[in-house]
Amino acid sequence: MKSYIWLQTADGSIQQVEEEAAMFCPMICQEVLQTGMGSSKAYAISLPQRVNPAILGLILDYCRFHQVQGRSNKERKTFDEKFIRMDTKKLCELTSAADSLQLKPLVDLTSRALARIIEGKTPEEIRETFHLPDDLTEEEKLEPLRNITDDPRIRLLNRLYARKRKELKERKKLKDVEVEEEPKDERSVEDLLSFINGADGDTKETRANKNKKKNRRRKDHAKDLSQNANENDKELNPLTSAYHNGNFDNASASQHSMMQNLPAVNFSPKFEFIDGDMDDDLDPAMKEELDREVEDFARRLNSDWPERMQILSLGQDRRLVPISMNSSGSTHMYTSMFFILS
Amino acid sequence: MGDVMGPDLISDLPQSIIESILMKIPIRDAVRTSILSSKWRYKWSSITQLVFDDKCAPFSCDREVVGRSVAKFITRVLFLHQGPIHKFQITNSKLQSCPEIDQWILYLSRNDIKELVMELGDGEFFRIPSSLFNCRKLRRLELSRCELDPPLCFKGFMCLRSLGLHQVLISPDAVESLISKCPLLESLSVSYFDNLALTIRAPNLKHLYLEGEFKDIYLEDAPFLVEISIAMYMTDDIAEHFEQSSNCNFVKFLGGVPNLEKLVGLIYFTKYLSIGIDSVHLPIMYNNLETIELYQVNFEDTKEILVILHLITSSPNLKELQISGSSNIAVAADFPDLDFWEKECLSDTTLNKLKTVKLSEMGGWPHEIEFMKYLLGRSPVLETLNIIPCVFDMENNLRMLMELVKCRRASTQAEVVFYRE
Repeated sequence: MKSYIWLQTADGSIQQVEEEAAMFCPMICQEVLQTGMGSSKAYAISLPQRVNPAILGLILDYCRFHQVQGRSNKERKTFDEKFIRMDTKKLCELTSAADSLQLKPLVDLTSRALARIIEGKTPEEIRETFHLPDDLTEEEKLEPLRNITDDPRIRLLNRLYARKRKELKERKKLKDVEVEEEPKDERSVEDLLSFINGADGDTKETRANKNKKKNRRRKDHAKDLSQNANENDKELNPLTSAYHNGNFDNASASQHSMMQNLPAVNFSPKFEFIDGDMDDDLDPAMKEELDREVEDFARRLNSDWPERMQILSLGQDRRLVPISMNSSGSTHMYTSMFFILS
Repeated sequence: MGDVMGPDLISDLPQSIIESILMKIPIRDAVRTSILSSKWRYKWSSITQLVFDDKCAPFSCDREVVGRSVAKFITRVLFLHQGPIHKFQITNSKLQSCPEIDQWILYLSRNDIKELVMELGDGEFFRIPSSLFNCRKLRRLELSRCELDPPLCFKGFMCLRSLGLHQVLISPDAVESLISKCPLLESLSVSYFDNLALTIRAPNLKHLYLEGEFKDIYLEDAPFLVEISIAMYMTDDIAEHFEQSSNCNFVKFLGGVPNLEKLVGLIYFTKYLSIGIDSVHLPIMYNNLETIELYQVNFEDTKEILVILHLITSSPNLKELQISGSSNIAVAADFPDLDFWEKECLSDTTLNKLKTVKLSEMGGWPHEIEFMKYLLGRSPVLETLNIIPCVFDMENNLRMLMELVKCRRASTQAEVVFYRE
């Protein structure tokens, strides 16, 4: 004799459902066990508002299939893939309903389906799919700022660094080629023993290399501090430029805010990466030349700054507002736009 | 400002569902949702999982530019994010070591980080800042190619369940200390260390994965280990160490793991276990051990064969056995010590649960054939014996087949499947 549970949806209609299927939903299960409701029509369990009869039908189909014990994972997966094929509207309703019934596996399934719908679409397409109102102003969406690397001088500087780094990497590659090799070694022990007293172990050499790298990094730290200070500040400026977006018209803002040195943001520069991999064997002449070029540029860029600072301070009447973790909707938050579209 | 196309389908779903949807799409798409509508502006900013993989950077041939762009992106996302961050993962092959890493990890240490995965671009090493050791709620830590230097006063990660260190520069003492200071550690994966002698004290450890040039591995305190996978590489130093070692590695390694269910050993693992094996009386029984996989076993070395025999006779519930021979034995010894097998056949042990056996890289050498005969003669419920020869040499293979056809089988259902190239 099959037993049934009575469920009532928000619109007042009452249905009778097989017990095993209904009990698969944690919320219904809990109601039955805690309050004893659902055993007759008069005492039907009231389902949350988000569950309408049509959606309830779908949910029960899902429950009926999955509550059967003996099914293989493959069978379940195939069922899920077919089950999830429905229009977006129904999918959203189903997600909402499954959530209110605390049916986590179904919520996961529908969320994944919704994620697949959203992924890769442009904002316009997403808005159309889900009927979202396009109610942000153009300002709020914000034009993307000119990318900081568009400035020709900074680009040149980056190129120099890239060249220098590449140079160092070639040198290092030649030296460390043993380290990169797959260390798998299938020689028999007898063979190895015959080599042991001969060539010195590879491992010793590579370890020495790494130590050299570490030491060099520390030595160069002090030297590079002054030279690199300005470059790094520039790189970090995009963060701050965001704050000033709304106050200037975009053209001038992007130009000037890039160059502004921001006192409020405190970055302790650590330069391990820029010259950290300096190899002892780098050709000294080459090294000098590159160093000189880099210093030159740094100086030139520095000299421009005092003038730019002046222009900036004239136009600025808003101080930097620190971000607060739990605030919502204040103007400083609309910075999220500026990098999305870049 | 848009025309009404119908009611908004999705924006009123509970925030937890929206967040779970946003965490299932690439982070760039998730952040882009902030321009969809006014309701969507900050929905993304409280997601608790931030994953920056190769999808998050625009495609470009210039690795430097892409690397910088990714670093900037990460900094911006962190700055705009609100609330706790439970999972933070960087596995981007273009990102290079940069000063911002220190700030990111500092920020994460203040935001309840639970899972941290850091793997930068190929060949890039970076230094882990000390703020990592303030991440009290850390449950999972995976680091690749970095320098790790725990402070002396570090008391350990009290919640850490899973630790993975790959090509990490850290002193051996610090590694051992780190492992032993994480009381809840269940899963440990350490790879590509040089010449490490590792002692593991992890009372809750269940899964162990080691790969690299290890001199010694001593499982001093890991009684709940369920799964072990070890790949031991060889160097001249290590070979010398093996020669001079007077330990009994079998006991040191497997003496304290009675709950073992699966054992996988690669490259020089059997060689490592074979040191000191002569003097061993089987230390314990492995009643839960159901799967054994040993690769690159040198069948010319009777000590290594002894390791296998010890293992299988100590595992009454062994179901699956996979052995792969060493394929670079060009010629077998002229007088193989077949007396060895006479001695072994004196014992009566049968492999009562053994069902599947797979032997690969078989050269058809005498010891290998004796081993096959040993298995066939003692496995009453054997169902399949797969043999994959390493070299399709008619002579050797023919010899192998002839011997197999001759030998006695304990199981009436045993199928011997011989694979041709």
